[in-house]
Amino acid sequence: MAKNKFFSALKPNQGSLITLAVFILLPFVVGLFNGASPAQVWTNGSGQSKFIQGLAIEIFILALYALSYDLIFGFTGLLSFGHSMFFAVGAYLTGILLKNFGFSLGATFGMIFLAGILQALLFGMVLPRVKGITFALVTLGMASVFHVLVISSELGPYTGSDVGLQGVVAPEFISPASQRLRLYFVTLAILIAVFMLYKRFVNSPTGRVCTAIRENEGRALMLGYNTFYFKLAALALSSLTAALAGMLHTIYQPIVSPNVAGLGYTVTALLIILIGGVGTLNGALVGAVVFRLLDYGLRRYIGESASFINGAVYVAIVLFLPFGIVGTWRLKSAQIRQGWERLAKLWLIGNRRD
Amino acid sequence: MNHLLEVQSIHTFIGQYHILQGVDVRVPKGSITALLGRNGAGKTTTLKTILGLTPPRQGKVVFEGREINGMRSFDIAALGIGFVPEHRAIFRDLSVEENLKIAERRKGDYTRKQDFLFSLFPDLKRLINLPGTHLSGGQQQMLAIARALVADNRLLLIDEPSEGLAPVLIEQLMQAIRQLSAETTVVLVEQNFLVASQLAEYYVIIEEGRSVKQGKMKDLVNDKATIHRYLGAA
Repeated sequence: MAKNKFFSALKPNQGSLITLAVFILLPFVVGLFNGASPAQVWTNGSGQSKFIQGLAIEIFILALYALSYDLIFGFTGLLSFGHSMFFAVGAYLTGILLKNFGFSLGATFGMIFLAGILQALLFGMVLPRVKGITFALVTLGMASVFHVLVISSELGPYTGSDVGLQGVVAPEFISPASQRLRLYFVTLAILIAVFMLYKRFVNSPTGRVCTAIRENEGRALMLGYNTFYFKLAALALSSLTAALAGMLHTIYQPIVSPNVAGLGYTVTALLIILIGGVGTLNGALVGAVVFRLLDYGLRRYIGESASFINGAVYVAIVLFLPFGIVGTWRLKSAQIRQGWERLAKLWLIGNRRD
Repeated sequence: MNHLLEVQSIHTFIGQYHILQGVDVRVPKGSITALLGRNGAGKTTTLKTILGLTPPRQGKVVFEGREINGMRSFDIAALGIGFVPEHRAIFRDLSVEENLKIAERRKGDYTRKQDFLFSLFPDLKRLINLPGTHLSGGQQQMLAIARALVADNRLLLIDEPSEGLAPVLIEQLMQAIRQLSAETTVVLVEQNFLVASQLAEYYVIIEEGRSVKQGKMKDLVNDKATIHRYLGAA
């Protein structure tokens, strides 16, 4: 009886659990295909597995970043063109604190947390005054100022100006060079924790008000909600997540490029959730996988012209899957289910007549 | 007479346009009052001005003896004023239950009111888990009204409830509004004079942004000349 209850509780999350199991086993399976035992993979002795772990870490970081954008754009309806700033602040601050000030990882995380809150408040300052495309442009302005700052020669000793921040050494216990498997699992665990937190948030009363704001802010106001606080809460959670993704990016990558502070990186987040499905959460994960693997695959096999084909593929996805992969799947699976139900009813009626 | 709401000579602008140019409305407690007038007369703007969505430049809005003009719309709503906007303004991405729960002002409002709401609109019980987008026009209108009833609102502003509904649904809706008026005071904007005259006890006629006449509905029903002049109905 208890066993049945346990399995019925697992059933709705079947897909997520299978995905999780795949990601846990992935490094070991890749190792086995290349003749490395799980023990060798465990001690970071398999080159191919290590490479795949690296690729997966990049996907996890992109997924975190895209999730944070999905929360403010997909769920709350705030179109921000300055989202890359949230990520870049986390990335640069981590690099500067670890490299120039010798902070520990814990202290760096604390500072990232503070920075995340502060930048959400900065964006929040304009929230009551501007809406829609004006908010997008104002946030673009703020992010552009930050971009100019990080490439300025005055801050060069810290940010590396237009070359980027280089020579950041990650703490040994999660070093991507010697402890990549550990970093892989840490990043995966953070992604799962953030994903579950987001699920909880969007299904909470606060999350429902965010959805209501996206649909029609006026109606939410008429119900007595001060929508500013709800938008600020979504912004704060999103900013913290993006900054955390930035932190992981710096731990994994030896270089923080100023490109991560540019408009292009905001477009990356937008593209990922468009591919996966806006306002679906799962879509951010699926989109990150498709985005990174497509980019990697095309660059590897086609070379420089990959960007052109990449662009064409994105246009095709947006045209043929207007709700993204997850969004379209949800829509179609409901229609297919309804079709089956209708067919079953017809069959039953036919049988009764016989 | 004990008035729950008093709108005193309000002037409202939308952009550069002077929409309301002196509207007075007095709403007796426990009544249904209909705002009547032709298209574009300023009825919906009057409701929005009461709610602070289009704040007045002049005049006063007094609710339960308290001046509420100048307050923010969510603070006004929190005083106990529910609004059912035109075009069945539900949240389409939320389920019926989520649409109702979101209107809670205190935890447990929805659970407490469930029986009452489903006695008014039995259809909603059957549709409870469906997303708003799957509902028909009539069901959406019922959900919009039910949502405004979840919290303990003492005044309900309903904009064009019968718009675009089939006659059988209008009848059902009228019964529900009559029933809920036992619990709360209602201000109704209604184009369909027949519906308004059967529901409301009081009326206010708005013409070109001004309130031109108000009184008891039973008097208006017999005043064919006024009806013809301001409402265009015989």
